[in-house]
Amino acid sequence: MITLKNIYKWFQSGGQRNFILKDINLIIKEGEFVSIMGPSGSGKSTLLNIIGMLDLPSEGTYHFMDKSVYDLKEKHRAELYKKNIGFVFQSYHLIDELTVYENIEIPLLYQDVKKADRRAIVADMLDRFSIVGKKDLFPSQLSGGQQQLVGIVRALIARPKLLLADEPTGNLNSKQGDDIMDVFQKLNDEEGVTIIQVTHSEKNAAYGKRVIHLLDGQVQQ
Amino acid sequence: MFRNYLKTALRNLLRYKGFSFINIASLSIGITGCLIIGLFVWDEMQYDKFIKGGENIFRIYQQRSNSSTNSPSANTPPMLATYAQQNFPEVDFTSRLLMWNGKMLFEKGDVRSFEEKGLIADSTFFKMFPLKFISGDSKTAMNAPASIIITEELAKKYFGNTDPVNQSIQLEKESFIVKGVLAHIPEHFHLDFNYVIPMSSSGLPPERMLSWGYNQFFTYLRLKNGSDPKGLESKLKDVVIKKAAEDPDETEPPSLPVLQPLSDIHLGSANFEMDNAKRGNGSYVKGLSIIAGFVLLIACFNFINLATARSFRRAKEIGVRKVVGADRKQLIAQFTGETILLSIIAFVIAVIATMLLLPMLNSFTQKNISFNPLTNPFLGLSIFLAAIVIGMFSGIYPALVMSGFQPIKVLKGLKAGGNNSGSSATLRQVLVIVQFTLSALLIICTIIVYKQMNFLNQKDLGFNKEQIVYFSVRGDIQKNYESFKNELNRSSGVVSVTGGYGLPGDQLATDGIIVPEKNSDKNFTAIQLLVDHDYVKTMGLKIVAGRDFSRNFSTDVAEGFIINEAAVKELGFGSPVAALGQQLHWEKWIPDSINPIKKGKIIGVVKDFHVKSLHEKVGTVVMHIYPEVLVKMAVKVKSDNLPATIQHIKQTWTKFAPEFPPDYNFLDENFAAMYSAENKLSTLLWIFTLMAIFIGCMGLFSLAAFSAEQKTKEIGIRKVLGASVFNITTLLSKSFLKPVFISTLLAFPIAWWLLKNWLENYPYRVSVSWWVFALAAIAAFVIACITVGYQAIKAATTNPVKSLRTE
Repeated sequence: MITLKNIYKWFQSGGQRNFILKDINLIIKEGEFVSIMGPSGSGKSTLLNIIGMLDLPSEGTYHFMDKSVYDLKEKHRAELYKKNIGFVFQSYHLIDELTVYENIEIPLLYQDVKKADRRAIVADMLDRFSIVGKKDLFPSQLSGGQQQLVGIVRALIARPKLLLADEPTGNLNSKQGDDIMDVFQKLNDEEGVTIIQVTHSEKNAAYGKRVIHLLDGQVQQ
Repeated sequence: MFRNYLKTALRNLLRYKGFSFINIASLSIGITGCLIIGLFVWDEMQYDKFIKGGENIFRIYQQRSNSSTNSPSANTPPMLATYAQQNFPEVDFTSRLLMWNGKMLFEKGDVRSFEEKGLIADSTFFKMFPLKFISGDSKTAMNAPASIIITEELAKKYFGNTDPVNQSIQLEKESFIVKGVLAHIPEHFHLDFNYVIPMSSSGLPPERMLSWGYNQFFTYLRLKNGSDPKGLESKLKDVVIKKAAEDPDETEPPSLPVLQPLSDIHLGSANFEMDNAKRGNGSYVKGLSIIAGFVLLIACFNFINLATARSFRRAKEIGVRKVVGADRKQLIAQFTGETILLSIIAFVIAVIATMLLLPMLNSFTQKNISFNPLTNPFLGLSIFLAAIVIGMFSGIYPALVMSGFQPIKVLKGLKAGGNNSGSSATLRQVLVIVQFTLSALLIICTIIVYKQMNFLNQKDLGFNKEQIVYFSVRGDIQKNYESFKNELNRSSGVVSVTGGYGLPGDQLATDGIIVPEKNSDKNFTAIQLLVDHDYVKTMGLKIVAGRDFSRNFSTDVAEGFIINEAAVKELGFGSPVAALGQQLHWEKWIPDSINPIKKGKIIGVVKDFHVKSLHEKVGTVVMHIYPEVLVKMAVKVKSDNLPATIQHIKQTWTKFAPEFPPDYNFLDENFAAMYSAENKLSTLLWIFTLMAIFIGCMGLFSLAAFSAEQKTKEIGIRKVLGASVFNITTLLSKSFLKPVFISTLLAFPIAWWLLKNWLENYPYRVSVSWWVFALAAIAAFVIACITVGYQAIKAATTNPVKSLRTE
């Protein structure tokens, strides 16, 4: 599903290149659950953002579902992204002015899903994640775990094949964190959603079927 | 999708109430100002548009080029029309109005009163200007000499509900037959009148109508379709030059005729002398339009600034929307849509405000403007479109900035207001600079216009205009002039009485004066004041050489001349003292067989005084006693016990002219009326300057609030490290005071240039002094300091623990 070849990312500073990623080569197959670990500044998030097409490498090639991402036109790349990738953040990033229901609905709006269909899809998801009772609340009225759950539901609403999570439990206590990880595991097991998460925690990393260690921008074998 | 946008927009508005309020309020105020000026300007431009075929109608005015003045003048000699009609086939027909003050005593049965605003017109008048008749035939109404056409208002007043046509009415004791009744004269007609009488009834000697020099007419030409007015104008000029060359007496270059399109009369004649049209001031209308543009621009810039600032608050939302699949176009649409929504809200408020303010505007400008976008779909639609255009114009930049945010950066909590938004910070500074430049410009202009107004109102006119009552002489008063004067003087409230022709600020006669010399006489043009022995005393003129007219010198009536200082210069006498005893000749208006020329010498010189408005330089003035002409009388009264004195004047009048009701005015009213345009301009400038400053400040206020919010963390850290409240306040204020300072510097040269040009219209004017600029700079600075200071102090006094925790 994902093939990264010779990915480099650097910043030019005073005539010197500061490498964030150095020669990353990575293959991730459909249905995998991968955890990326490493100390602060090792390039985990940058790698995740590159996989999620939110960032561009300085050098290298990226094939996503057999398409060479960087050879695609902007429009097609956006289409590819919209249809297949969902993002979950450490600090949830819900829109404060919108209710739970409205937050979850947004990705569908940008994919021009009809109103009746949107209602059905959102209702189904709310039901599946047992947050029907919360649908009219605003993010500020929810606990952190609930907010993250909404964030995950929002990421999944468009049925992506790949779920990317950047420290999804970083702001949660351990009980909330475990619940979120259980959700991830279930998604991966039952629905075959490919998951790549960045994490600091050994315990959470263990939920993954494969762990990639990064140090100073390089994959540790 | 749209509903989602709308919800986000509305909830955002509600969440930041203060910010939204300032955003909408400042735009509403700006639009209200614009709408009001717009209505005024639009109304001013409607003059004479209703006249069918008006594009073929031209008025002739004269461009004078003599030494004392170069102002255009609306009066023309009668032969211009006659000659043009006879010799130039492109002239369809012509119509003239006699220059006349238009006041007459009307009597019908018991109803009698003075009616102002009358016209004496050629019989073609209603062919030229097809006004609506509600009774009578417009084609024949002007054919008989003693006929009169009145408006429906006069018809109601004198004839009640009966049809006045073919009934008689007395005008100044003479019988006229009403031949037509006009529907209410449209407000946007450049002539203001209540009645019209035909030229043939004016009693002008027929030879006068053949004159090339008797400048007592307003001439209108109607050209045939497709004629060339420029060509006709130059042919007319040639004729006038030729005629002038044939006249051996004429030493000055002739005034040349110019064709003025009908549609230009109202706004294009502000500086004309001797004009009877309802005139607006084209340059003030233009100036106001520019100011309206400024106010709108300031409001829009505010809007842009606030929206850009606001966008950083919404950076996270934008990041999220991008991550979940929004593309740039959709974000631009969303945020432009939001500013359009705000703009529509602001427009709705502005329209309501304008409707509420309109009665005030109407009473201030004495207009009758109506404004209702609901009943006028065209107006409503244009306002709606304007709202959308302004919303788009103001929203497109912030939308472009916002939609360009990098989602990973804004979501990582990297402040979008940080390094990557340098360009929009610069833009905000530039917009603030433009706003404050315009504000400073307005402040300076307002002060100078106000100063000039005060100057005009308070300038020593060289005579005392206060407490002078004047009236037209009627009935038997002229016959019994001396005893009438004596009777008036018997009241202790009357200081002195004078009579003649030519009161300051009233109608004046300009005529030739001759300085006889050995070889050939020299001809000059001068304002002639035909006076009596008490004129100098009554008006409070100052004699600088020689003496006043005196009854002790019996020759003064036949031979005495008094001139002003300007005349001393113009006639070439050198000094006032040298002028004394110099010979002057004047062609009498009513030539007697013994001596058609008044020959005399100068007995006195008076200090220059302003017989006309301060818009004009003091001209050459010659005064002499000429009892044959007695048109107006003036009475200087004491201010105490004024009602009793007025009562005495009325009673004396009734004793001498019982058939005419008493009628009088105060001379200073004439002078007040001369500056009403400037007075109104000054008031409007004050209002719009305050508006602009207010809007600018609102913007600055919220930008400062925004900046303080953005810097919460920085302020917290600085405070923890030991910065004082004063340090922080200075830090925050500095970034805002710099653009204000730059703005005032930018405004100085522009203001100086503008005001220099404006003041050049005035021969008597204030100087553009440096302190006005200093004052404007200080004012802008202080206003900005107060505005920003509040936010800065608020931020600086916040507990750092709190601000750091919220990060």
